[in-house]
Amino acid sequence: MVCNDMNDKAAVVRRIRFRLNGRQREAQVASHENLVDLLVRLDLFGARESCGQGLCGCCTVLVDDIAVSGCLTLAQLVDGCEVHTVEGLAEKGKLDFVQQAFIDEGAFQCGFCTPGFVMMTHELLKRIPEPSEPEIREYLSGNLCRCAAYPEIIRAVQTAARNRPDPAGVAGEHA
Amino acid sequence: MRGFELVRPATLEEAIRLLDTDDPTVRPLSGGTAIMQMMKTGIFKPSRLVSLSSLAGDHSAITLDDKGFLSIGAMTTLAAVEHSQVVLQHAPLLPKVMKRLANVRVRNAATVGGALAHGDPHMDLPPVLAALDAEVIAQGPGGQRRIPVADLYAGYFETVLQRGEIIASVSVPPRNGCNSVYRKTTTRTADDWPALGVATSLGRGEGVLQHVRLFASAATERMTRLGSAEAHLRGNRPEAKLLEEAGRIAAQEVEVIDDAHGSAAYKVALVAVQVRRALHEALQQGSEQ
Repeated sequence: MVCNDMNDKAAVVRRIRFRLNGRQREAQVASHENLVDLLVRLDLFGARESCGQGLCGCCTVLVDDIAVSGCLTLAQLVDGCEVHTVEGLAEKGKLDFVQQAFIDEGAFQCGFCTPGFVMMTHELLKRIPEPSEPEIREYLSGNLCRCAAYPEIIRAVQTAARNRPDPAGVAGEHA
Repeated sequence: MRGFELVRPATLEEAIRLLDTDDPTVRPLSGGTAIMQMMKTGIFKPSRLVSLSSLAGDHSAITLDDKGFLSIGAMTTLAAVEHSQVVLQHAPLLPKVMKRLANVRVRNAATVGGALAHGDPHMDLPPVLAALDAEVIAQGPGGQRRIPVADLYAGYFETVLQRGEIIASVSVPPRNGCNSVYRKTTTRTADDWPALGVATSLGRGEGVLQHVRLFASAATERMTRLGSAEAHLRGNRPEAKLLEEAGRIAAQEVEVIDDAHGSAAYKVALVAVQVRRALHEALQQGSEQ
């Protein structure tokens, strides 16, 4: 899926090292691969390339604790960085407080956009621990939900803000 | 997207050396949010990208000198400008503009230098910084020079930056009592690329407009100074009739283009309305202080 439809003759492949959800990883990466391409290759399917233009938020991941669009990030540039995806939020079979809040509030139908909303919510609550509704709307305006679960998503963020364990602990999760 | 070579120089000097070539397929990459889209759509096929990411450490500072000039390093992200207390205090229009400039993730990655150097007339920052009389400090093989943001654009996606020249920082002068406004019209979502951007900065003295800056972008092939409208305003009392006339003059002098954001006829009508509103808004701000 990664390179077969591309003209990769001119590509320069480089070995990069980075931390992915807390684990040190190494990968051979072609210059034109974006971060979503790489994550898919590493069997992580939470970040999805949807609009491919940074507008929809389905590919939101955290690079060095900053939310970015994976589809607009060249994979070679995460060399030496710390990357977090939705898969790393909780141990296998468990959910973290933001994921649980999305379920409690029924904040999705098809779920395609949900990992992106969850990752953005993490960054929002780090920056503004108790966001107002306008702040939530503004912060998540770059995440699109085609099922239009927006009222439930806003409630889920408010619920997550209330259920947030301990700010230090949350920061620790990303460390 | 096609393959290319991605290099990451560690210093500005090294980046300049790598970019000192006539090959148009060798380009700098900062936040990448704009250029990645051009690469994905096949509009731009680089042979080599010079990533400036390793320069972020040395070129992302926001400082204020003793004369009140604000300096913003070219690798400063739009998010850092948005949340900077120093910027809020000395150029409050900038954080305000950020709220409707793309989205949080784009602002987390996109840089001030990239937003200026890209040359897309739909960018929000060029007219805003031009209205604030900001200058870029460009560094090239021949040394350093200052270029007013107002004079930075030669055409559609074209700047006056010379071979090997990179924007190193932006310098914003003190406000000196002027009030600045940016009015952005989008025809899809609120945070979309604008169909029209109008930026103004006004300063009053002795009952008349003394300092007048007026720029239009997005509807035009390149950011455009509305010189005739400025001249009509300068030295006159800011009455409603004058502001309306300035809007009409602006609509006459500006060369508007059709694109996906609206027809030229529509955007000409917008110019008259938004220039008038921007002027009113700036004056209102002034009278509230």
